[in-house]
Amino acid sequence: MSARGTLKQKVGRFLVALPPYGWLVVFFLLPFLIVLKISLSELQAAIPPYKAIFAWAEDGILQLRLNFGNYSYLFSDELYALAYLNSLKVAAISTALTLLIGYPMAYTIARSPARYRNPLLMLVVLPFWTSLLIRVYSWMGILKNEGLLNSFLMWLGIIDSPIQIMETNTAVYIGIVYSYLPYMILPLYATLEKMDLTLLEAAADLGCPPFKAFLKITLPLSMPGVIAGTLLVFIPAVGEFVIPDLLGGPDTLMIGKVIWAEFFDNRDWPVASAVAVAILILLVVPIMLYQRNESRAEAK
Amino acid sequence: MNASLSGRAASLYTMLALGYAFLYLPIVLLVIYSFNASRLVTVWGGFSTHWYAELLHDDKVLDAAWLSLKVAVVTATGATVLGTLASVLLVRFKRYPGSTLFAGMVAAPLVMPEIITGLAMLLMFVAMEQTIGWPAGRSMTTIVIAHITFCLSFVTVVVRSRLAQMDMSLEEAAMDLGARPLKVFLVITLPLIAPALMAGWLLAFTLSVDDLVISSFVTGPSATTLPIVIFSKVRLGVSPEINALASVFVAFVGCAIALGGTLSRKQD
Amino acid sequence: MGKKWAVFGFMAAALALSAPLAGQAAEEKVLNVYNWSDYIAPDTIEKFTKATGIKVNYDVYDSNETLFAKLQAGQSGYDLVFPSATPFLAQGIKAGIFKTLDRSKITRWSSLDPTMLKAMEIADPGNSHGVPYMVAATGIGYNIDKIKKILGADAKPDSWSLIFDPAVVAKLKECGVSLLDTPTEVFPAALIYAGKKGDSIDKADINAAADQVLKIRPFIKYFHSSKYINDLANGDTCVAHGYVGDLVQARTRANEANKGVHIAIYIPKEGAVLNIDAAAVPADAPHPENAQAFIDFLLQPDIIAAVTNNVGFANAVMPAKALVKKDLQTDPAIYPPADMQAKEFELPLVTPDYERLRTRAWTKVKTGL
Repeated sequence: MSARGTLKQKVGRFLVALPPYGWLVVFFLLPFLIVLKISLSELQAAIPPYKAIFAWAEDGILQLRLNFGNYSYLFSDELYALAYLNSLKVAAISTALTLLIGYPMAYTIARSPARYRNPLLMLVVLPFWTSLLIRVYSWMGILKNEGLLNSFLMWLGIIDSPIQIMETNTAVYIGIVYSYLPYMILPLYATLEKMDLTLLEAAADLGCPPFKAFLKITLPLSMPGVIAGTLLVFIPAVGEFVIPDLLGGPDTLMIGKVIWAEFFDNRDWPVASAVAVAILILLVVPIMLYQRNESRAEAK
Repeated sequence: MNASLSGRAASLYTMLALGYAFLYLPIVLLVIYSFNASRLVTVWGGFSTHWYAELLHDDKVLDAAWLSLKVAVVTATGATVLGTLASVLLVRFKRYPGSTLFAGMVAAPLVMPEIITGLAMLLMFVAMEQTIGWPAGRSMTTIVIAHITFCLSFVTVVVRSRLAQMDMSLEEAAMDLGARPLKVFLVITLPLIAPALMAGWLLAFTLSVDDLVISSFVTGPSATTLPIVIFSKVRLGVSPEINALASVFVAFVGCAIALGGTLSRKQD
Repeated sequence: MGKKWAVFGFMAAALALSAPLAGQAAEEKVLNVYNWSDYIAPDTIEKFTKATGIKVNYDVYDSNETLFAKLQAGQSGYDLVFPSATPFLAQGIKAGIFKTLDRSKITRWSSLDPTMLKAMEIADPGNSHGVPYMVAATGIGYNIDKIKKILGADAKPDSWSLIFDPAVVAKLKECGVSLLDTPTEVFPAALIYAGKKGDSIDKADINAAADQVLKIRPFIKYFHSSKYINDLANGDTCVAHGYVGDLVQARTRANEANKGVHIAIYIPKEGAVLNIDAAAVPADAPHPENAQAFIDFLLQPDIIAAVTNNVGFANAVMPAKALVKKDLQTDPAIYPPADMQAKEFELPLVTPDYERLRTRAWTKVKTGL
């Protein structure tokens, strides 16, 4: 019985693992290897615009030509490091703001009467089914000097002349927070929805003030959701291009724009690929190590 | 007992309302400007509904919108299924050959800049077409494959956190009672993580419907999505016709939500 | 050993599968066009389909770079594309991306303006791969009333000094000045203003141009290659460095909106960059015959004149000029007089090293890094 049970188990597990694993190997790993290959090759004028790294020499030996020059180029110019650091900064601030705004919203939806939850959730997501571009253009109309916000503030008498918001980092923060809010709210909601309310009731019965109960009970229990939401906002925000391009100014330096410039303006696929591989290694390897640690710890 | 919200209900609901106001302010504006008489979207030129009329005749935009919807539904469903399976792998299966690689592969599409992901997938599709003849050119298939791949990572993050905090004792009890793992998963686990699956599906749908950069690489003559059409028109500024399309969409889904809400009310 | 045969067999099978495609004699009646957005008249496609029975799939892009990335990856599926002559058509020809055109299929070749053809030869030697479609110089558009208020009632700007003279631009800062977001346009303009040759390929001149732009950098509102169209029309900015055809669009929109914004456009007297967008056929196009038929169709005077009327860019078909709307025909920014034409120049071809230096200098100008 045990041998068959284990085999059945193993087959079952294999079948569960196959779809996601297989999919990612074919549709992510292979393309990534292509990117890696490009990052190690040289620029040339042809289709596609990089040289092959494998070549047959006359004596039948397969030659491998790896060009690490693209990577050393990244280190030689401070632009890439600075752009990356600035992107991290902008992404971090935007993520913090998104969390501040998203948490109360997710919390309220998760704790509202059951029949309202799905509609409320869908209302959160609905604006994002209109195109990003028209929403950003609407924001441009709101934030510009003659726009809604400044006109409103001047009408209220709070300010005398328009505040320059467009083409600054502030506009980029607003844009990113606005665009990434669902990515924070949805994971938070998923975690908060099934929170055990009896814990809070017990705390209330024991005389614990609501805010303290929130800090000591709700917040720690919702941590997985907070982490999930933070990851889903921060990581893509680092590489964001469209929003800084439309709302930011010339000194909003982000790595997404740098890659865009390398890829489109210089048409240098090898360097653009090298930048991407470098970013990937910097962000993914810690995640992989974390997962390895986690599973090791749990296996004990 | 709804001790949860009674005391602080007012302030919480106010925050929620403010949040919705923030989310919907640009939407309200874009609906207003869809009735703009002139071509501009930030300066009012008078009331007119001719953009809606133009929209009805603009096959290009309508075809692209329809394709985007179809792609988004297929993508969301595919990504949710694969993401759930991936979460099971990551949370329940722990260590097995290649587990670290898998963790990396699941996280990587989140990190990779979209230009590079798009380019890499395009080059792979071209290489595949040249060696095995499939996929033939850029089509709905290539778009769906590309979208599922990057949405999968997002869904996995959402479902995984919920799965990780789930109480294992229920599953263990069921298995002790003799239920097979598949049945346990379908009858016990899935319902418990259902809100995460719903959240993941909505997230993937949103990502797919709005994706621009990756789509611009994997679309082609016979298949183009709405964001591409809009972005390519942006050179001369967004036309109110696009606002009209967005308004129609918002109105349609808004009504569906309201209808769904009223129907479930009646059921109570 | 067995593996080798398996691979061989696999390749043979793949070849066999693709053979029917190679043997196709007549093309199916389909044409896949990839063009700039808003770069054709509303009825051009309809008329073509009526005349030839060929169904047209018309996709649009917003930048040369997007087009080029798709072409560089290969097998884009498009039959007819419209790259800018320099540097994209030029680089594409070098990379083998474009097909040599069959002149016998393009019967109206002789109606093309020889000056335009000659200008294009720098990118396309022998005019063998591209046909000029739309032509425009890069110039300056400004808000007439606001400029008069700031610079004086008798101000009649006609020079690059409006955007490159620090004394002048400083006054315009509040009002809003925008530059194009590409060094390929801004640097030559800066060089001309500084008295050097606009089409210089001397690496030292990159820094000279960058320094010139840095002098006025503090007074520039933003760099963008298309936002200025709406901003100028709305009255949000008052001076824009832009492509003449797009500036014409801004002017039209401002007039339609009727909000009191009046725009004037000029090509600076010192000289300007000439942009020719060319119709070209990718080497791996599935329907090259249909593509050439469409090119020939476009060269009909009434057809191309309708495009010019719609888009605001001049065309290169000589008999078409008479059919263009009067106000566009007589606009010196769109159809410049011969002496102005002589001062216009195409962008020179450069090496990847030069481009890298140029892009880096540009990033420095914009961000200070």
